[in-house]
Amino acid sequence: MKLSPLEVMPAAAVAPVEAPATMLELVNVWKRFGEAPAQTVAVAGVNLKIAKGEFVTLVGPSGCGKSTLFNMIAGLLPPDDDGALLLRGTSQRDGQMLGQVSFMPQRDLLFPWRTVLDNAILALEVEGVPRKVARERAALMLPEFGLKGFADHYPHQLSGGMRQRVALMRTFLFERDLLLLDEPFGALDALTRTRMQHWLLDIWARHWRTVLFITHDIDEAIVLGDRVLVMTARPGTIKSETRIDLPRPRDPSIVTSPEFMSLKRRLLDEIEEESRKTFAQEEAAS
Amino acid sequence: MKAVGLTTRVLRSPAFALLLVALAWELAVLAFAPSPRYLPALSAIGRDAWSVWPQLLACFNRTLLETLLGFALGAAFGGACGTVFTYSRWMERSVFPLFVVSQTVPIVAFGALIVIWFGNSLLAKVMTAFFLTFFPVTVNTLRGLKSCDPQRIALMRSFGASGLVMFVKLAVPSALPQIMVGLRLGIGLSLIGSIVGEWFGETVGLGVMLMEAMNGDLVVRLWVVMVACGVMGMLLYGALSLIERRLVWWRSEA
Repeated sequence: MKLSPLEVMPAAAVAPVEAPATMLELVNVWKRFGEAPAQTVAVAGVNLKIAKGEFVTLVGPSGCGKSTLFNMIAGLLPPDDDGALLLRGTSQRDGQMLGQVSFMPQRDLLFPWRTVLDNAILALEVEGVPRKVARERAALMLPEFGLKGFADHYPHQLSGGMRQRVALMRTFLFERDLLLLDEPFGALDALTRTRMQHWLLDIWARHWRTVLFITHDIDEAIVLGDRVLVMTARPGTIKSETRIDLPRPRDPSIVTSPEFMSLKRRLLDEIEEESRKTFAQEEAAS
Repeated sequence: MKAVGLTTRVLRSPAFALLLVALAWELAVLAFAPSPRYLPALSAIGRDAWSVWPQLLACFNRTLLETLLGFALGAAFGGACGTVFTYSRWMERSVFPLFVVSQTVPIVAFGALIVIWFGNSLLAKVMTAFFLTFFPVTVNTLRGLKSCDPQRIALMRSFGASGLVMFVKLAVPSALPQIMVGLRLGIGLSLIGSIVGEWFGETVGLGVMLMEAMNGDLVVRLWVVMVACGVMGMLLYGALSLIERRLVWWRSEA
């Protein structure tokens, strides 16, 4: 794994000649749990458009319904009937999203009885790709994911960062145009996390996928994203949208630039406000 | 360094502990000379075993066969029932309590019934062994399958996995450690089942030898049979542990 000054730009993200094709669109998406008096609204009226090849990051206070939103996009949870979810312009019914997006949850969820290589090909196996073919394909990707020589290791023999890379490799091998990453680096130490972020940018540039990335780390959101969406406290909805015009490829030192600082200051204020609301809600509830 | 390691390993091995107990037994009998009615010497037990060797061997094999058949049947049935109960709530609700009730009736109470149903056959003993085996396997299969990590299930679903794929690739492997617990319990119970089954009419088997020894007041023979049962139990348990180590070698993460 190397920090990449060589990170290449995906063509469409440089200067969209015309409006790029929409990959995912959320129209008035709601998710309510329970019945009327004791109802919890987890997600309220989310409208969102993600273009093909775009890297969008989503930040918000904990418990704001980020994961609920993600589960709906992954098809694991049906959105309420008054909203719609469109993939490449086609409305998706309940369960139709399953198998259509590469979803990576917070925990690496590696299977302890499978080797690194066999964990990576899990999705391919589910798709019915013969194991031998899948293994060959995965073996070629190992060096890129910094896992060269670890094909036959088992998850318990790996460090947290490596496990996360195996999980990412599994997600990438499940070749779908849309990648959903739910705080994939949340459990890593700060140094490993920075390395992983830039490595992810590198991989993204080469594989050219659309990414929706959840985090609660503002630095991470700015460093990675073309756009940063801020979610409100529960009920979660999109509070603001900030285009990040920092040039790519982005160097780790970008976090010290004045442009970065001013973006961060603004986003921090917004998130602070929402965190305070969450805190107040919890106070009131207890 | 390695030689020391080897010595320590030998000293700490169960075989060595067994040897020590045997030695202590023999020496204690020599030193205190209790009446053989209470505690015969190990060597006396060995001599007695040798005097009936062909019969002992035949009985051992017969009981082993009954135990293994009963165990295999019980494990297969228990595994199947555990699976059905996991995926069908109403089956679990309606049938599972019957399983529990069936286990509250002592197996000895069934003896006569089993002879009436299956006669004085191999099947009769297999059935008593089966009867004791299937329950712990059912319960542990059910528990194992139900405790499958919901987040891993969600992950598999997001890959578009069907129910069958999910079962084979996720549910079964993650339930395996728990299922092995059921099998370990089952193998011991299966041995008890086949011995008890033999009490209700049979001519060959360790249970039969046990009854004969009791009726003839042959205390040393009683010990011979007990040791034989112990050896069989150890062999079965050891074989199962070996299988378990090959099958469920990964560390549980929970």
